[in-house]
Amino acid sequence: MNEERGTFREIEHTADLGIEITAADLPGLFAAAGEGLFSLIADPENIDPRDQVAVSAVGAGPEELLHAWLRELLTQFNLDGFVGKTCVVERLTDGRVDGVAHGETLDLSRHRFRTEIKGVTYHDFKVWQENGAWHARVIFDV
Amino acid sequence: MPGEEIKLDRIEEFLWQIPKQGGMRVPGRIYATEKLMSGLKSDNSLRQVMNVAHLPGIVGYSLAMPDIHWGYGFPIGGVAALSIDDGVISPGGVGYDINCGVRLVKTSLVFEDVKDRLGSIVDAIFSLIPSGVGSEGAIPKLSKQDEKRLLRDGAGWAIKAGYGRNEDLSYMEEGGRLAGADADLVSDRALERGLKQVGTLGSGNHFLEIGRVEEIYLPQTADALGLFAGEIVVLIHTGSRGLGYQVCEDSLKVMSKAMANYRIELPDRQLACAPIRSPEGQDYLASMAAAANYAWANRQVIMSQAEKAFMQALGIGPKELGFSLIYDVCHNIAKIEEHVVDGKKQLLCVHRKGATRAFAPGHPQIPAAYQDIGQPVLIPGDMGRYSYLLVGADAAMEKTFGSTCHGAGRMMSRAQSKKQSQGINIDQEMARRGVVARYRGRGTMAEEMPHAYKDVADVVETMDLAGISKRVARFRPVGVVKG
Repeated sequence: MNEERGTFREIEHTADLGIEITAADLPGLFAAAGEGLFSLIADPENIDPRDQVAVSAVGAGPEELLHAWLRELLTQFNLDGFVGKTCVVERLTDGRVDGVAHGETLDLSRHRFRTEIKGVTYHDFKVWQENGAWHARVIFDV
Repeated sequence: MPGEEIKLDRIEEFLWQIPKQGGMRVPGRIYATEKLMSGLKSDNSLRQVMNVAHLPGIVGYSLAMPDIHWGYGFPIGGVAALSIDDGVISPGGVGYDINCGVRLVKTSLVFEDVKDRLGSIVDAIFSLIPSGVGSEGAIPKLSKQDEKRLLRDGAGWAIKAGYGRNEDLSYMEEGGRLAGADADLVSDRALERGLKQVGTLGSGNHFLEIGRVEEIYLPQTADALGLFAGEIVVLIHTGSRGLGYQVCEDSLKVMSKAMANYRIELPDRQLACAPIRSPEGQDYLASMAAAANYAWANRQVIMSQAEKAFMQALGIGPKELGFSLIYDVCHNIAKIEEHVVDGKKQLLCVHRKGATRAFAPGHPQIPAAYQDIGQPVLIPGDMGRYSYLLVGADAAMEKTFGSTCHGAGRMMSRAQSKKQSQGINIDQEMARRGVVARYRGRGTMAEEMPHAYKDVADVVETMDLAGISKRVARFRPVGVVKG
């Protein structure tokens, strides 16, 4: 699936970290959200996309699905220390997403580690469509 | 996100009330000075106090301590007591970091003994206590069987494994082990995450601080605790690591579904909950207890590693060092406790999310040695200014379900703090404050700089003046290790 690349930006939250994502379509939104998540863990600038990890998630509706997708991506870091530089969504249906993250295992001596993320919260969590674009807002517990 | 105007009545000098309105079952109550309250009025945390007041079975009021700040679901600094007969339990009222807490260790050293060797001590701590991020834990070869024992026995497991001494157990809430833990309810993914992280500090706001006793407010109490001016102490702030985060995440999924079955409607999904007596509620309590036990084992191992680091760096033995636990508190937890409400004893599930238990003198659940002084409460500061030791007082039992504040409380978002840290040499800035710091992620350090926090002195003073907890001693940080 050749999604148009989406964008993300950090948003203000006192205790935690949040991102707001915008993309032309849902696959683009999911890919950018994944990249946004990894960028909070480590600076993507010097992450080499040499390894790839396949990630799938299920959930009813775009909100549940995006939440599940982010949780699965975060698990890649939590279990194996994997940090993605880019995410590609290969298939996205009503209840399931399949994709690939390209990146490598975090190495504190080479990478600019930023912070550990404890969880993808449901607080203020939103996926919405506006003026023909998709948007999402996610707050992570750090 | 701009805050909204919320009506507040000042009912005591340091206590403000949000009247019951809409679906709130009880009023909201916030402890704050006028200065702290003026900073809160434009904050979303007051709305979160109101949201918590919607929980079925909540008793008295939805409380917030003066270090309150905008969290997810519950505000950080929030306390809610729910009837165990008809109340709910909410994993969001405990947080991802189950039994995140603090322990304070005293030593026989004074600042003069270490001031020229702080760099070596901090380096030794940094190398003996991993962050657990992209690296192995201090006990790398934990088997799944060992891990399950650890989840059942908490700090006691670590002591059996050679980390610390039996007497340490007397100086932790619940003796370092919450009863009713069921490791079989912890998911494989959570167990997997826990295998490599025992003895790791983590990142975010977790840290280990070496401090010196700078000020003593209550000499007799300080004496009973073995604290004297100039003494070197160690403060350890961390929790249940990935295992706890995963238990929270797994439970939130279960609770979100359960809410529909029990027809519970709440203003924020992050408050997902289930009746305490329901199978979902009981399962959460048992898996939360397992994660809480992991946190105690983790802090126990870290304390023991820190002792080794001091001995290694200073070339001294355990007797000379005199490393000894003063107390260990939880500040993200739900506990079943007995409290007097409207003149009657009631069994309640007290959620403390960024709040600390502060039992008054004479309470049966505090160590025999502290019966006359009250439960020690440990308040880590912002790594640059100061940290505090308080003790619980009688008013806590009457007004806050035996609870007080837990820390400085953020006042600046992480993004803002990072912006303010740009162009600052973090090491020089910490050195200017007299702190030798070692850290792994510059990003975390930039977000966690002292300027991002409220002045913790204002926070502890509020609770002191309100009679909830009394200040005993203040510590000045001289060394900091962060993940």
